[in-house]
Amino acid sequence: METAYHILAGNSYTLKNVRLETAFVFDEDGVTATRTGLFCITVSNGKITRVFPNDAPLPHAIDAKGYLMLPAFKDMHVHLDKTLYGLPWQALSPRRRTVRDMIAYEQEIIPTLLKTSTARAEQLISLLQSYGTSFARTHFNVDTTSGLRSLENLQKALDNKQDSFKAELVAFPQHGLYYTDSAPLMKEAAQLENVDFIGGLDPFSIDNGIQKAIDLTVQLAIDHNKGIDIHLHDGGKEGLRTITYLAEQVLQNPQLKGRTFVSHAFVLAQLQSKETEAVAEKLAAAGMGIVSAIPFRGAAMPIPALLKHGVEVLMGNDNVQDYWSTFGTGNMLQKAHLMAELYGWVTEFELSRTLRFATRNILPLNNEGHMQWPKAGDKAALVLVNASCSAEAVSRMSATVAFAHDEGSLYWKS
Amino acid sequence: MVSRKDFIRNSALGFAGLAFVPGTLKEVNGTTSESAQTSGSYILKNVRLETGFAYENDEVIATHTALFAVEIENGVIKKISPNQPGAKNAVDAGGMLMLPAFRDMHIHLDKTFYGGPWQAVRRRTGGVKGMIALEQKILPDMLKNSTYKAEQLIELLQSKGTSFARSHVNIEPTSRLDSLKNLQKALENKKKVFGAELVAFPQHGVFYTDTALYLKEAAQAGIDFIGGVDPYTIDGAIEKTMDFTIQLALDHGKGIDIHLHESGESGLKTVEYLINKVNENPALKGKTYLSHCFVLGRLDRPQQEAIAEKLGAAQIGIVSTIPFGGLIMPIPTLLKHNVTVMTGNDSIIDHWNTFGSGSVLQKANLAAQLYGNTTEFGLSRTLKLATAGLLPLDDKGVQQWPKAGDQADMVFVDASCSAEAVSRISPVTSLIYKGNIVF
Ligand SMILES: [Zn+2]
Ligand SMILES: [Zn+2]
Repeated sequence: METAYHILAGNSYTLKNVRLETAFVFDEDGVTATRTGLFCITVSNGKITRVFPNDAPLPHAIDAKGYLMLPAFKDMHVHLDKTLYGLPWQALSPRRRTVRDMIAYEQEIIPTLLKTSTARAEQLISLLQSYGTSFARTHFNVDTTSGLRSLENLQKALDNKQDSFKAELVAFPQHGLYYTDSAPLMKEAAQLENVDFIGGLDPFSIDNGIQKAIDLTVQLAIDHNKGIDIHLHDGGKEGLRTITYLAEQVLQNPQLKGRTFVSHAFVLAQLQSKETEAVAEKLAAAGMGIVSAIPFRGAAMPIPALLKHGVEVLMGNDNVQDYWSTFGTGNMLQKAHLMAELYGWVTEFELSRTLRFATRNILPLNNEGHMQWPKAGDKAALVLVNASCSAEAVSRMSATVAFAHDEGSLYWKS
Repeated sequence: MVSRKDFIRNSALGFAGLAFVPGTLKEVNGTTSESAQTSGSYILKNVRLETGFAYENDEVIATHTALFAVEIENGVIKKISPNQPGAKNAVDAGGMLMLPAFRDMHIHLDKTFYGGPWQAVRRRTGGVKGMIALEQKILPDMLKNSTYKAEQLIELLQSKGTSFARSHVNIEPTSRLDSLKNLQKALENKKKVFGAELVAFPQHGVFYTDTALYLKEAAQAGIDFIGGVDPYTIDGAIEKTMDFTIQLALDHGKGIDIHLHESGESGLKTVEYLINKVNENPALKGKTYLSHCFVLGRLDRPQQEAIAEKLGAAQIGIVSTIPFGGLIMPIPTLLKHNVTVMTGNDSIIDHWNTFGSGSVLQKANLAAQLYGNTTEFGLSRTLKLATAGLLPLDDKGVQQWPKAGDQADMVFVDASCSAEAVSRISPVTSLIYKGNIVF
């Protein structure tokens, strides 16, 4: 494995000197600090079986050296299958302006990219891991140029990385379902066991019809027991209509609740606050989530309003370095930091809550400051960071020293 | 020619994103920086420099680079010559890209929590005046180790490729001149490896607290700029404070750099008042700055154009931390009117803010994203925010840096060109200040 980490243990081990958050410190104005303590943790077969005081002598335990243990970092929107990361630098071309321009460009370059896409996916995974991420929801192209080869190459990379990295896969019709004839390929992809979500892309602007594209997406998800995660950049009333139409379908098919997501959903940033509240309510009722890369140019996404209504909000890097964007860091703590700055979440309490966007909503302390993670029975998906508490980790983008996902080994930075 | 990728492949670490070894200049070819420095002159080999743009039709599609040898003598670049890969006594730059050393043009080195325990910002009432009351309470304690903390902060900046800072330093009745003295000690300790210019900063107002006396004293104590903060909000009047500041600068031949957060009418009036005064006193042209100047982000487009033109004509610069989210500074408009725009981290971690990375390359990256500079050309131009104006290539792609006679302040980054460095916030591998190899 090409990495600066080394395996310290398999999926059963005991850690000592693990720093865990235990409580908030309050004064009359609120939370002023986070209290932590040192603990021992036993992991068996990828499960945390015991969290116990640090006072017993444990000569065979792995020394966590006082580093802070947090829930594993999860990147919930990335394209591991088509990155230029690891290839020579190339800025964006000013000539390619629209998504349709980009589709034409992809049709040109995909055959070449596919030749090395397994190696580059592994390199990108290594980058994510260098920032402590051990899980991703990755979209992979399903289009008439790639066929299912983008998936095959990605799956190889994931197989090679399986001890240190896990992923869930979204079949992504980047060139439209009907704009190019990708619907048959999507039907094929939907039958595959390693595909977890049916993806989509701007039904209105790419396929010229919201209903037809969404209907197929929903049907495939239902028929094959998959989730849904569609890219929606469309703004205006069509963007909004896409969301509400999808929500209607989910309400009629409750098996899709809790596993249907809209990625980007930029239209939400264009709404008046009353409209935002109404859409947030609908999303919450349908159990639909929003996945965002946290745009900060122009209007910000109404993430606080979504959270207020109980909408699940996930976060991802999306592009790290490719022909769509060259600005991604691969660092989930950097994204959380960006959110904190963008939404003005500056206090100890607010910063500590912001960590959830890096961990897919798992937090060590609940809002009252009671310990809720890790507990015996939790999956041993974890990361160790050089920070005194979650708030510091988010604000200072603290460095990662070790990570493990629940079915793999414990990796320690060399 | 050996490519950068070859150097990376040959380096010890294979990890993507970590494939560099900071401080490579220290120990290549058995030539340590020590021995190189004692002779006062040395040659750097395998130095990657930008040489021109590659065009397709009329568009810049890439940046050409090549490897060179760069001779340093007495803190100055003496000669740039064809690469000498075989040169025995040369310091090997390993194919890394050499850029002008980064400059942080707005920071407070004198009051930071950096190097101490984590402490989040508290929600406070009472606005800036509440913060002044807070500072009056905590500064005496902070001053106890402010020299040490300034040095820690300087080391953070250096690690991000910065070798020079414009630091504001508190001058107020609580610290009197102690914050300045403590910072000057830190700068004296670091003088071989870090440069700074200082702004005497009346954080608690010139008249709101009785600071005028201390400012007068500071003006004669080794500072470079007379600072200020929100004259209307803090001191209750624009003219009295501005007149005092301007007179003090004129009397002592100093520049001016004023914090202006006011975003309404008083902010605009302050800007206009300063423009008029600088035009009346041309000695202040080119050495007068407004830091933050949020009001520019609140104006409509025609007003922004008009003010930018006036600022350009009066040669008043704007120093911005590149805010985003709410207010957006009209930086492209300012640049269009030849206003000097510089950036800085301001707070790294203190009682005002805990988000500072210490990297001005990260600030340039932020600006590129915020203003949509995504192309090779746009990205390469954005580097100037990190270098306080200096760029290797001019807009036509003609090499303009480095040249013989330039001060030897350089940073080495693991990037193929400026555009990549800005977009990827490429790792800094080495830093040279006045010819001294910092790492
Ligand atoms: Zn995407
Ligand atoms: Zn400041």
